[in-house]
Amino acid sequence: MSKSKSSKSNGTPSYPSRRSLLKGSAGALATGLTAATWQPAAAQKRGGTLKVSNGGDPPDFDVHQTATFLTQFIGAPCYSTLMKVDPDNPDRLIPDLAEKAEVSADGRTVTLQLRKGVVFHNGSALTAEDVVYSLNRIKSPPKGIVSPRKGLLGNVEEIRADGALGVTIRLAHPQPDFLMLVSNPFNVIVSRAVAEPLDAQGQGVKRQVVGTGPFRLTQAVDGQYYELTRFDRYFGQGPMLDRIQFFPIRGEVERGAALQSRRIDACFFFANEAVLDPLRKVQGVTALRRPTPTFINLIPNVTRKPFDDPRVREALSLAIDRDAFIRTVGPLAGAFFHSRGLMPPGSPYSLTPQEIKAFGGYDSLPGLGGDVAENRKRAIALLEQAGVPKGSKMVILARGDVPAFRDSAINVAGQLKQIGLDVTVDIRDAGAFYKMETGGDFQLVTHSVAMGGASVDQILGEGYTSYGGRNYGMWKDDTLDKLYSEQSRELDPAKRVQMVRRFQLEFLKTYYQINLAWVGYGAAHLNTVQGWKALNDLYANMQMDRVWLNA
Amino acid sequence: MLDFIARRLAIGLITLIGVATITFFLMRVLPGDAAVMLSGAGAGAISEQELAEVRSKMGLDRPLAVQFGAWIGELAHLNLGLSLRTGQPVASEIARRFPYTLQIVVMAMVIAVALGVPAGLLSAARAGSWLDQTLRALSVGGLAAPSFWVGLLIILGLVWLFKWSPPLFWEPFWVSPWQSITQLIWPAIAVGIRQLALIARMTRSIMLEVLGEDYIRTARAKGLSEKVVVLRHGLRNGLLPVVTLIGFEVSALFGGLIVTEAVFNVPGLGQYVVTAILNRDYPAAQGIVLILAGIVVLGNLTVDLLYGWLDPRTRIQVSR
Repeated sequence: MSKSKSSKSNGTPSYPSRRSLLKGSAGALATGLTAATWQPAAAQKRGGTLKVSNGGDPPDFDVHQTATFLTQFIGAPCYSTLMKVDPDNPDRLIPDLAEKAEVSADGRTVTLQLRKGVVFHNGSALTAEDVVYSLNRIKSPPKGIVSPRKGLLGNVEEIRADGALGVTIRLAHPQPDFLMLVSNPFNVIVSRAVAEPLDAQGQGVKRQVVGTGPFRLTQAVDGQYYELTRFDRYFGQGPMLDRIQFFPIRGEVERGAALQSRRIDACFFFANEAVLDPLRKVQGVTALRRPTPTFINLIPNVTRKPFDDPRVREALSLAIDRDAFIRTVGPLAGAFFHSRGLMPPGSPYSLTPQEIKAFGGYDSLPGLGGDVAENRKRAIALLEQAGVPKGSKMVILARGDVPAFRDSAINVAGQLKQIGLDVTVDIRDAGAFYKMETGGDFQLVTHSVAMGGASVDQILGEGYTSYGGRNYGMWKDDTLDKLYSEQSRELDPAKRVQMVRRFQLEFLKTYYQINLAWVGYGAAHLNTVQGWKALNDLYANMQMDRVWLNA
Repeated sequence: MLDFIARRLAIGLITLIGVATITFFLMRVLPGDAAVMLSGAGAGAISEQELAEVRSKMGLDRPLAVQFGAWIGELAHLNLGLSLRTGQPVASEIARRFPYTLQIVVMAMVIAVALGVPAGLLSAARAGSWLDQTLRALSVGGLAAPSFWVGLLIILGLVWLFKWSPPLFWEPFWVSPWQSITQLIWPAIAVGIRQLALIARMTRSIMLEVLGEDYIRTARAKGLSEKVVVLRHGLRNGLLPVVTLIGFEVSALFGGLIVTEAVFNVPGLGQYVVTAILNRDYPAAQGIVLILAGIVVLGNLTVDLLYGWLDPRTRIQVSR
């Protein structure tokens, strides 16, 4: 993805190419990483406090145990990962703690060389043991510790320290995406000496933030603010700022007001266009919207009748006018983007218009010219064939506090009524919603799934395999799992493109998940905030080491 | 009098035990799972075994009766327990937030009483006039406008006119009284408008009734000035229901600031209770409800004592 494609000025959406992402993974795999080259320019000013609004209080600070940006945005500047996405070229990785990464010829052994002289915020030196402990903590968490991303390291057979600064990772099979997965922004390196005793008590590092990142957490007042202070012994060139303060402001309107009145300098998370759009007109403010690896899907529970019947699932897909969905729900929830297939908009793995149009209802994607009325006639016919009578009652489970969930469900319910179904929306708060969803206590659910990374294995593995963490519909399909596994270990990029495309063609046939749209999150900051680039992954580039204030 | 207070406190204690019991079981009846919420809810990939370990760690796998007994035991030692979400003592979390909520309530009620009683008096004294009509229309508007909507209008208006939005750091009253008052004045106005309207309407209604009484006619016949008639003879007799209303509204405000605190981002009890309930943070939610119930009990007792001060007849009944 070239820089010019990543984001245009003030919120114009763009569709990034991910072709070079594939090349980037393969390149890193074959040749190892190059040393970091970023240096602050003379014009860049040091000092100052960056005031950021977050969407609320983080539940805690244990980045491994969480999936929310509320924790990750505060944790990212405090921690380091082995490698990280290059903000200047988001398709490649650059060193963070690992100055060198090499993959053996058979693709199964990854050797990492850590930087010398890296210290944690408590003054202790980083060693390979810290990396081994951190990765094992993610892959096989101790009792009482949870790890939502353990699947990312599911291919790891063994992690061992080679001397003080060497780490060897043995994989069960070659995996081109492995370096991307292990460098996921949530996969931070914690201090073994700090984390191990707390983990043994089942607590984890929920309140103790001891990382090697450019900032250290110095104050945390729940409900009020969280202050990070420059870590003078940081191994990199930054940070430029003296301090970062995060303020938990729940409402988007209130966050927008705080930015307009210059109370805060930046907010890296907006969903509502009604809030973001006025900010674009404010002098001295940059507001943008970027596609992220977040999709909104309608998910039938295949363990319940009649959703075990693929004809019923196809009928649901046929009933949905995706163009209308995007135009209606987009301004509320950021569902502006669409893709041709399961990978993000603009992906090199995208299907052709002809291919995607072969699946029920997907010809209603913007620009594909589908006939929605004809689709709905087919849907009614399919329901009849499946023995689903007109007026059948169906319930869509939705989470009430997030527009992407709630408004999507309401819109979809309205569209499904067009094919004679009596659909209602069951809106629950987050606590009840997740209990019902993870327990399979629903017929249909709309879920906005925010992936913690944009690699193929992250999206397909987590989102579209039987054993993936996002299989809320509880389907089981050995064929799809096998196809996923085969593409995951394919080292030839050209062959892999074909395999990923084939996987998508097979998956879309099943209608296990019905893709409605992709989401773009908004971000806005004062023009005095310099050095931050909005990448197409919500969680990447949040370390803030290069950010400076031109005040 | 002391007997009366002791009796009321004993009844209050029984009430609090009842509230504690109901709250405990209501929180457990709510659909949802604290372990799911505290384990990266939404990430999807948490196994049932991992959740079971988290439940065990938090003691949520024990029988409900055991959990309840343990919690009540802690309460007997004035310990509200630890927050499941943050691991911090609930009492200290509440203590840190309580002053902001208390200050908004006090400021809102001061605004409401200072403006509402005179407005009601004026309205009653000039019943049927254009002033009365205007004040009545305004009070109906004040009652109809939800405080969160008023709050949003205030914020958007202030941003538009003065580029002002709520502050990021909230100063406690005892650190910087003036700054604290200026920071919390807008949320206090947002919630105070409803109370103002309510008090104005109640005062008007009561005063219209009182001003028609025989003793008022007698006072006028004695040649007292209208000001003395209304304020000394009318208002004092008419205040009892208004005081009852104020007492009730103060109690209700403590639990009713949730949305206003969210709009103005005030780190008070309202925001805390929302976070606690959404995250199924049982000890925190139970602790706040218990504190709010205690405030209602104390509020009612205070109103009863004020009755005695305002109306000697009730004092005699109490002492008998």
